[in-house]
Amino acid sequence: MQKYRIAGVIFKANFIYALSARLMQKYQYFGKDEAEFTAEFNLEEIELASKDFPKMPLPYVENTLIFKKFCDFVLNNKNGLIFHSSAIAVEGKAYLFAAPSGTGKSTHTALWRELFGVKAVMINDDKPLIRLEDGEFYVYGTPWNGKHGLDTDCRVKIQAICHLQRGEDNEIEPIDAKEMLPVILGQTLRPTGVEQMDKLLALTEQLLGKVGKFRLKCNTDISAAKLSYSAMKGEN
Amino acid sequence: MKIKKGLVLREVADSFVVVAVGEMAKTFNGMINLNETGAFLWRRLEKGCTKEELLTALLSEYEVEESVASAHVDNFIKGLTEANLLD
Repeated sequence: MQKYRIAGVIFKANFIYALSARLMQKYQYFGKDEAEFTAEFNLEEIELASKDFPKMPLPYVENTLIFKKFCDFVLNNKNGLIFHSSAIAVEGKAYLFAAPSGTGKSTHTALWRELFGVKAVMINDDKPLIRLEDGEFYVYGTPWNGKHGLDTDCRVKIQAICHLQRGEDNEIEPIDAKEMLPVILGQTLRPTGVEQMDKLLALTEQLLGKVGKFRLKCNTDISAAKLSYSAMKGEN
Repeated sequence: MKIKKGLVLREVADSFVVVAVGEMAKTFNGMINLNETGAFLWRRLEKGCTKEELLTALLSEYEVEESVASAHVDNFIKGLTEANLLD
């Protein structure tokens, strides 16, 4: 069975459909380290799960099951949480923009790429993974990368997280942990077990205490990217 | 009155939040923010109590006019009922 390494976590996976194999190809792992879990679903399990996603084709249901299995494992064992956001790195620091789908987070990080050119690295445009390691929070690329297929298999220390909203003009302000909490909880995969929920809440609380937190109201002019970068980059 | 099974109150980042677990998580994926008084009342409702018991508890814990406390309790229960969070 093929091994994969996503966000530093090695696991085995077997697929019925070619879709997952294709999406995860870049994350194949050929090293000697042992897999920590196995993700494999039979047709019966996939069809059963498809009742929760009525319009989703089965190959995507299979991919969703693998995604959820992975997220459960990292939350339980690796201090990791998936965060629906667009994550970009500049000069070794990562910046995450979160908002409900369709708000414009991908558009905003596209402005950053326009502004910084090759200095900007797209970590993941849709579902990067955040992990706490040795007291620091890092963001990793994952194959669940959104409709533009933008992701890099890398790990970057998180500088700041930004709640993005649309605006006529561009404005950015720091916000406190209390204001950012619903943004994180609203854009992650919520576990259903009490113990897992407590893990998620504890991890989120630590994250909020450690990284920069901002709210950006922005339009699609390049000046929006200049403003958000200068506010979020912090002291050098 | 009692809070529905599967709703848990937690203190995170200096705020009181309610989230859903188990079966409840399938129908409720939001998050409720409570202030300190709200959390105080919620904890009593987790065990189950009457409106009168809530009022008595609130009056013994906080220095507040009975009419104000009563309005607060009514309001709180109304909000929970409208959100379908009570059994």
